[in-house]
Amino acid sequence: MKNVFTLTVILFSLLVTAQSQYEKGMEKAMKLWGEGKIVEASNLLERIAVAEDDNWIPYYYVAMVNTSASFGEKDDTKLKQQLDKAKEFVDIAKNLSPDNAELLILEAMTNTAWIAFDGATYGMTLSGKNTQLYAKAMQLAPENPRVVLSKTEWDMGSARYFGKDTAPYCLDIEKAVELFTTFKPSEEPYYPDWGAERAQEVLAECKA
Amino acid sequence: MKIFLSIVLLFLAGISWAQTTISGKVTSGKLPIQGANVYLEGTYDGASTDAEGNFFFETIASGTQTLVISSIGYETHYEMGDVIYFQQLQITLQEAINSLSGVTLTAGSFEAGTESKASVLKPLDIVTTAGVAGDIGSALQTLPGTTTVSEDGRLFVRGGRAEETQVFIDGQRVFQPFMASTNNVPTRGRFSPFLFKGISFSTGGYSAEYGQALSGVLLLNTTDLPDQEKTDISVMSVGGGVGHTEIWGNTSLSLNTAYINLAPYESLLPSTNGISWNKPYESIAGETVFRHKGERSMFKFYTGYNFSNFDIDQEDINFEDFVNFQLENSNLYLNANYKYFFKNNWTVYAGASSAWDTNEIKVVDNKIETEDASMHLKLKASKDFTNRFKLNVGSEVFHSDYEEDFTAENGFLVTSGFNELLWGNFVETAIFFSNDFALKLGARAEYSTLIEDWNIAPRVSLAYKSGESAQFSLAYGDFFQNPLTQFINYDNSLDYEKTSHYIANYQYNKNGKTFRIEGYYKDYANLVKYNTVAPQFSSDFTNNGSGYATGIDVFYRDNKSIENLDYWLSYSYLDTERDFLNFRTTATPNFANAHNFSAVAKYWVNNWRSQIGVSYSYGSGRPYNNPNTTDFYAEKTKDYHNLSLNWAYLIDQQKILFLSVNNVLGTRNIGNYQYANAPNAQGNFDRRAISPAADSFFFVGFFWTLSTDNKSNQLNNL
Repeated sequence: MKNVFTLTVILFSLLVTAQSQYEKGMEKAMKLWGEGKIVEASNLLERIAVAEDDNWIPYYYVAMVNTSASFGEKDDTKLKQQLDKAKEFVDIAKNLSPDNAELLILEAMTNTAWIAFDGATYGMTLSGKNTQLYAKAMQLAPENPRVVLSKTEWDMGSARYFGKDTAPYCLDIEKAVELFTTFKPSEEPYYPDWGAERAQEVLAECKA
Repeated sequence: MKIFLSIVLLFLAGISWAQTTISGKVTSGKLPIQGANVYLEGTYDGASTDAEGNFFFETIASGTQTLVISSIGYETHYEMGDVIYFQQLQITLQEAINSLSGVTLTAGSFEAGTESKASVLKPLDIVTTAGVAGDIGSALQTLPGTTTVSEDGRLFVRGGRAEETQVFIDGQRVFQPFMASTNNVPTRGRFSPFLFKGISFSTGGYSAEYGQALSGVLLLNTTDLPDQEKTDISVMSVGGGVGHTEIWGNTSLSLNTAYINLAPYESLLPSTNGISWNKPYESIAGETVFRHKGERSMFKFYTGYNFSNFDIDQEDINFEDFVNFQLENSNLYLNANYKYFFKNNWTVYAGASSAWDTNEIKVVDNKIETEDASMHLKLKASKDFTNRFKLNVGSEVFHSDYEEDFTAENGFLVTSGFNELLWGNFVETAIFFSNDFALKLGARAEYSTLIEDWNIAPRVSLAYKSGESAQFSLAYGDFFQNPLTQFINYDNSLDYEKTSHYIANYQYNKNGKTFRIEGYYKDYANLVKYNTVAPQFSSDFTNNGSGYATGIDVFYRDNKSIENLDYWLSYSYLDTERDFLNFRTTATPNFANAHNFSAVAKYWVNNWRSQIGVSYSYGSGRPYNNPNTTDFYAEKTKDYHNLSLNWAYLIDQQKILFLSVNNVLGTRNIGNYQYANAPNAQGNFDRRAISPAADSFFFVGFFWTLSTDNKSNQLNNL
């Protein structure tokens, strides 16, 4: 009996080590990302993703880091490399975790980076795709505040473009802000949790 | 137990103490690579390289491991071995072949799309260029290498006739790409541009996959899956249309119908250039597109039906009265193709297209009935052995069955026709020696049951990237085409017509600016000749014609320098002479003029939510033959000018108003002169000018899209 107990303890401690290794790695990656070390953060996340090949979260972050770095990027070669990488990792993550609204809005964000870079070329093909992605995300997770926020911001962008009133969308922003306080995040470590501040910012613009 | 525990502890301790240092340097050629990801596969242990390309990290892993070195833009490198040997490694990465920044095989071709650097037009340009009004052919006429033959409307490429350019949809031949029309009533393409995601227009030196075109090919690729469900409604000054798209997961179905009737327009603004409509052009068209995307496959099916008719009286110098011409055309086109992507990088493609086209034509009291059934079957396999070596092989069959019944006024009936099977085979390889140097080698062999002979056509093109934004390309190829229906119909002992293309190209792309210059020489041989006024039964046909065409094409586009302004300029110089048809000697034919210039500009006015477009085309005088002089094709018409304007206004997210005026100055352009068959009393041949039926054309359209998200519009479709 004692043997079994010892073995269990040892195995458990090994598991804990493994767990904390993941968290340690992710923590370090987040720190690098926060410091603006995009390449290092992306590289580390990619290493974690490849090692944890059944967990969609590190794949999500590889795509997220590369997508967010692409907004404002003027060099078309670099932009294509980053966004191609983002797309590749979103696709793998979608295979690991199908029907995941977080991944759909990330994919839409990657498309938006292309549109922001060259609207005349990519707007025509990608904005329809985004509309579809947001619609599906809403269907899957209508109570996810990030879904509500991203979809509303996309809708507001279109309305602004057409010189329409964006005020009706402010109600949805209010809803997103509220959802951020009530939404119960997943227990998975490093599950996406961004957006609450952004929602406040947009709400402030609404009220201004 | 104690012993066991000690072992375990020792083992654990061993793991935590036995750290191995891994270090080295990553370079490409002599240059260090910064930011490369170096790690042991399956572990978290790794590092990014610094500015000097150096990396350094510690690991607790031991024994044989795989060290992975990856960096965006390079091919991933693997080192296998015991970790203790992974020290002070010198790693050289190979550049990955990159379609956006690497060398591209562009000689002779223009692309409209988003993916390739060779793209000079965007898909939207086809619908937003002034004077083009959604006609793919007209949009391509703003590119160099084409001649504007405004009374015809088809594509004339580098001194070639319109029939020398073939159109393909998803690799399958389109047999009647243009609407049926008659002399001097300009035609339009049958296909609406919004079916396509990519357009590649080649003015020479194109791939061995395509044959039966002496001058150019236009390759149209349909979209894979539509983005959303929607209903489109259009109301236009010349008709209207309704379309609907339905999507079920990876399957979609689109239906479109359109009705065009020029009668209301003609009653307001009648066409007056030597014509009078009895019944203006009317057409009804329907199309269905079905697409299904599997995990590793793609199936597309397209079918379109079009029925059109008109009744017109046209001026003719040989008759006092206008000559009556009536036409009824019915055209059914089917195109299906299936692609399967195997895991081992092989792709197999099977496609079929088929057309059934009938015409009922009445010229005064003569009746002509034609029936043309054509089919194209193709089987193709391609493989990317590495991204440096690609192979494409295939085989195809074309079948045509043509029959024509001519019934004269007196009831005399002549039936003619032919039945042909043409078998084509092609093989082509693309080799990328590096990101700077690529070569494409191919060959095509064809056998026609009508000509009873083989033709073998080599094709070569190579490209060298001379700097970050510049590249040179060269291309050579032989091209064969069967004699036109109207010749082979009467004499099936004729041989293939042939051209050889020699092309040199320079292209520069930087910061939204594209500059291209291309010089070419085309050598024509075996052109069909006959010895009568028009081709007929009694004509004596030979393959003794020949000719050449040489010239320079220049293109410049800039969409970055001035905000919201996008413009392009193109210029073509053409020098060509040929001896063909019933020419008595070598001359420059009527459809070829020396200088063509066009300028297109589009300006987006944000406050007005409007796009305003202007385009101007110029063509120097076209040669014509004046029988009152002894010289052959020695005179030239006056220069061609066309200034067109358009305005697209987005009323809201779903409604667009579109206005356009073609040839806003109303310039009377003359393409040719028709001379009387016999001299008048003074011994001179009388003539009349040949112009497009109307000088200017006005268009007003309202487009409304209903979609679930209330957001899309038909700007794409205009």
